[in-house]
Amino acid sequence: MSLATRLCLLFSKNLVTATRSLQFVQRNINLDKKPTHFLSYNDIIYPVQGFDEERRPAYVCHQKCNIRYTPKKMTYVAWLIRGMSVDEAIKQLSFVLKKGGAIVKEAILEAQAMAVEHHNVEFKSNLWVAESFTSKAYTIKGKRKHKGALFGEVRYTYCHYFVRLEEGEPPKDYYKTNHKSSSELLEDWKEQMRRRKIPNSL
Amino acid sequence: MNCVLLNKLNNFLINVHLSRLRHTKHWNPKFKKQRQEKFFKPDVIKRKHNVNGLSEDILHTKMKERGIYPSKPWQESAIYISCTGDVFEPYIPPEGDGKFSSLSTIGAKQNAEYLMKKTKSYQAVMTIKKFEEAFDVIDFANESLDIYIKGHEILARKQKSKLKGFVTEKLFPELFYNLENKTIIWKFIKSLEPARVVHSRCTNLLTDDNIFAQITVRLHTEQILAVYDRFGRLMHGSEILKKNVLEYIVFEKHLSNEYGQWRLHSKIIPSWMPLGQCITKTFVTN
Repeated sequence: MSLATRLCLLFSKNLVTATRSLQFVQRNINLDKKPTHFLSYNDIIYPVQGFDEERRPAYVCHQKCNIRYTPKKMTYVAWLIRGMSVDEAIKQLSFVLKKGGAIVKEAILEAQAMAVEHHNVEFKSNLWVAESFTSKAYTIKGKRKHKGALFGEVRYTYCHYFVRLEEGEPPKDYYKTNHKSSSELLEDWKEQMRRRKIPNSL
Repeated sequence: MNCVLLNKLNNFLINVHLSRLRHTKHWNPKFKKQRQEKFFKPDVIKRKHNVNGLSEDILHTKMKERGIYPSKPWQESAIYISCTGDVFEPYIPPEGDGKFSSLSTIGAKQNAEYLMKKTKSYQAVMTIKKFEEAFDVIDFANESLDIYIKGHEILARKQKSKLKGFVTEKLFPELFYNLENKTIIWKFIKSLEPARVVHSRCTNLLTDDNIFAQITVRLHTEQILAVYDRFGRLMHGSEILKKNVLEYIVFEKHLSNEYGQWRLHSKIIPSWMPLGQCITKTFVTN
């Protein structure tokens, strides 16, 4: 039995009473509830560094919660800026003509301000997007009237967006594609050629 | 010809506004409202709501929605005053203290002034002795140094609950301002000069027998301070550099309270003192 027919059975008695009962309040959903784990990384205090140790890069985590936007659409925006420097990410996001583009841009600008104000980052441009991802939040189910007494389901989806900015230059090969230079490729080919064997020969 | 075309294209690209054309609207505006009514979106109650700036009527309906009773206007709550909010009649340290010896003319002058101002402090000490019979000014100076050291050690370890025995409620937020996520290394090395009580005052709050006492102590010590940020990187000071510190610390006690303690209350920073070394930070201005 499809959902539409089930709903139809539910509300088939009288259309007037059906529409009245549909003006309901979904009390079990709390849109103020936020994920807590990701921001807890901001509370970690690292041990004191010695003089000879390499300077530990600062990082800051930030999140935007319960955004009225589907995680499916948000994923493309979130993954676009991974491994970019902050300035480059902001520049790219300015040209993303999606609702998600503006949200992600705002989140990054906020995270940048947080990094400078609270996490001892000296230069605001010296940051790169180390992590940028989205997750599913609540889905509120609404209804939509079709012809006669038929009803369909409408999904009002919400998502969370998470970003982590790290101090320093962005890595050259973020996606680890390992693009080899021409000389390296030549060396590989030579090695391959030398490893050849002619079967049943000397 | 090509050049003209390119120019035109350039002009077009400059003038074009980036926007997306979406044709999601129905062509006929006639049954717009009926079309809207086909959708039923459940209302989701926002539990935490920003109340600031809402009119009383809206607030009333919102509270009614959630089933919250209005707060009663005569709701009372008890207040306990455990410390004063300020330093009353603060001590004014002599200019250039710690730089001139008492044998020089300026030093001798300062000593003379110090003696002249003593009468009020003496009266205050007598008031303290009414509550604390065994109170002795010299003993207190030594005791204050202990409180000072213990308080700072606990502060460096950030043991908030323990610190309440050494620090008044007025000083507590001042100490913890901007201190979150930071590692502090503080060491007391030695006292360069014996601690000396320079000033004392008593005052009453609300009733005549509710008395608070404040004593200012001059501490000349040698200390080490280093502040590290969240990632263990040095922000301020040094762990290998000893510094001479001359401070005027105000200690306070609630005399009327049987279990009152002498606690750190404030630090006197004279107006003539030059500003201390700031945390080195650079910014790029737009």
